[in-house]
Amino acid sequence: MRHMLLREWVTKFSRRGFLRGGAATIAAVAVSGKDLLTNAAEAAGLSTDESRALLIFTRDLFPHDRLDDSFYAKAIAPLQHEAAKDAATRKLIASGIAQLNASTMASAGEPYADVSEENVRVAAIKKIESGPFFTKVYSGTMTPLYNQPELWPKFGYEGPSSALGGYINRGFSDIDWLPK
Amino acid sequence: MPAKFDLNDSSVAIIVGSGAGGGTLANELAKKGISVVVLEAGKRMEMTDFQNDEMAMFGAFTWLDPRTSSGSWYVAKSSPDLPAWICKLVGGTTVHWGACALRFQEHEFKTRTRYGAIAGANLLDWPLDLNELAPYYDRAERRMGVTGTHGIPRLPASSHGKVLFAGAKKLGYTQYMTTNMAINSVPRDGRASCQQTGFCVQGCTFGAKWSTLYIDIPQAEATGKAEVRAESQVLRIEHDASGKVTGVVYADRAGNLQRQKARIVAVAGNSIESPRLLLNSSSSQFPQGLANSSGQVGRNYMRHVTSTVFGVFDKPVHMYRGTAQSGIVMDEARLDTKRGFVGGYNLELLPQGLPSFATNLMPGEWGRDRASVIDNYVNLAGVWIIGEDMARDTNRVTLHPDRKDKYGMPIPNVHVDDHPNDTAMVRHGFQQADALYKSIGAKRTVHHLPFPSTHNMGTNRMSEKPQDGVVNRFGQSHDVKNLFVSDGSQFTSSGGENPTLTIVALALRQSEYIADQMSNGTI
Repeated sequence: MRHMLLREWVTKFSRRGFLRGGAATIAAVAVSGKDLLTNAAEAAGLSTDESRALLIFTRDLFPHDRLDDSFYAKAIAPLQHEAAKDAATRKLIASGIAQLNASTMASAGEPYADVSEENVRVAAIKKIESGPFFTKVYSGTMTPLYNQPELWPKFGYEGPSSALGGYINRGFSDIDWLPK
Repeated sequence: MPAKFDLNDSSVAIIVGSGAGGGTLANELAKKGISVVVLEAGKRMEMTDFQNDEMAMFGAFTWLDPRTSSGSWYVAKSSPDLPAWICKLVGGTTVHWGACALRFQEHEFKTRTRYGAIAGANLLDWPLDLNELAPYYDRAERRMGVTGTHGIPRLPASSHGKVLFAGAKKLGYTQYMTTNMAINSVPRDGRASCQQTGFCVQGCTFGAKWSTLYIDIPQAEATGKAEVRAESQVLRIEHDASGKVTGVVYADRAGNLQRQKARIVAVAGNSIESPRLLLNSSSSQFPQGLANSSGQVGRNYMRHVTSTVFGVFDKPVHMYRGTAQSGIVMDEARLDTKRGFVGGYNLELLPQGLPSFATNLMPGEWGRDRASVIDNYVNLAGVWIIGEDMARDTNRVTLHPDRKDKYGMPIPNVHVDDHPNDTAMVRHGFQQADALYKSIGAKRTVHHLPFPSTHNMGTNRMSEKPQDGVVNRFGQSHDVKNLFVSDGSQFTSSGGENPTLTIVALALRQSEYIADQMSNGTI
């Protein structure tokens, strides 16, 4: 079942403190440079290469060119954290990435994360989209990706409004392009 | 100030739940001088606890205790352990409701007569009609400050609303407007007017929206006749040998079981918890559950027929700005079987903030196409199809055979199979909403199947004859005279309108009946 469950919100919500605190540390490390999914992340469970593949996989699932990698690094942080604490999760992610790698090695001669052609990576994902690895990453990264307040302005979403007095004097009805 | 009643005080009226039905009933009974104990399963929050944060407030408000679901409905696949999106806190679902306050239409009280015998449905006329309820609708609208009624000005249209209205006009619709809303358009009753924050569902931080949490409950407490016990989950209703209820057993904040005695009990826990409680109150005298000689407790569960359409435009809409649900097209709410279904539906604004939009969009899909819709977030407009659901006796709330909650009470299962009428109505709604948005330049439309139901009705329905339903025209149990149902579970049909105004109107009417019956000693 690949449906995003509402209940997932809650699970992710309960991690909000984590997302904004502890995991931010992992994420910060993870994004401090392309080659810096570092020893810290590795010690935490996934290898540097696996974390990099997981990040690219998440970007392929939710591809927004306007977002730099830091947003995706934060999106995968909860899974990195879980993989560090839970061997089954670690194994699931590692074997999923191995599948992606095997697929792109066969089709393009490179591991998944090194493939520059998006179409090739997408074709590899399509082969595993009904499996548990896909489901785990899909449901595990979606909310941490889109619930980052720093991300909202990139999409024009203004977030909380009460402290600013709502929109009553800030353009709630200013649409000007509708047909008369 | 709040009253404090003894557990052995058998003169009190117990009200289970503090939402639209329970909160209103508590306020009315207390003002009539009747001692009231409100037992609310959820915690007590205050307006100052509300945040403009979709995920946080979802976690803070929602009834998340274990539930299961089954049947062919989409929700059983998309959200099997959260079939309904309703609240667990003082104020109930009036904390997160969108505040559309619509009356049912005349024909919706007479579905069996007006729609005829629909195969696979269990339609029944209400034992009351619109005329009889109209004075109570009037009172409900006044107390809730419903815009567009009784001289209360309508809210101004947001950009999002203007998109809906422009499309409606193009399609030739005529019944579109900012909705009758229980949200102050002008300061009223000591509460502020709407500041167009857009976060109605996360709890109105200005208190412009009507909610029992900060209106009826404090008013009831101010009479000195009402006590609200939060974090108190009722597990069983008890009765004596004569078949009258004598009180309830509940788990208090610390998890200790308490027995509160009572003169009457009114159940208002929403349409899943209310039948669950009655079914769990079975005894040797009432082996099928309390108030269930008809076997109808838990049956005829209705949500609304719902789905959502988002129009993707190439210019900004900013759907998240402004009163969330204040915009409606009512042209399809009529009864017109030429469309291929009975009953009707409304089209109501449904904006979402970016976090909830992006995480609910096109479930299971991924990649560039899905992402491109999110990339267009500011250019989106959303409309919710909300139509009449068919009562079916197999669509029902039952006690789970094995699973129990932390107090040992069986958890509820919600079973729904879509009726062909539902399917036909949604298809029509999709077609009309698509046409509406495309008529004013939408590049594409995106459909979203139902979210977990916030509107839940019918599981303790009203009936003229005891064998057809659970309660009479005043919400009084056919079987047990001092037991009442005071929430949307008493609805005999779902209508095509948001249920809250009707719940409040029924509670106002019921409060008069209860007071009369108590004063003449009948109960």
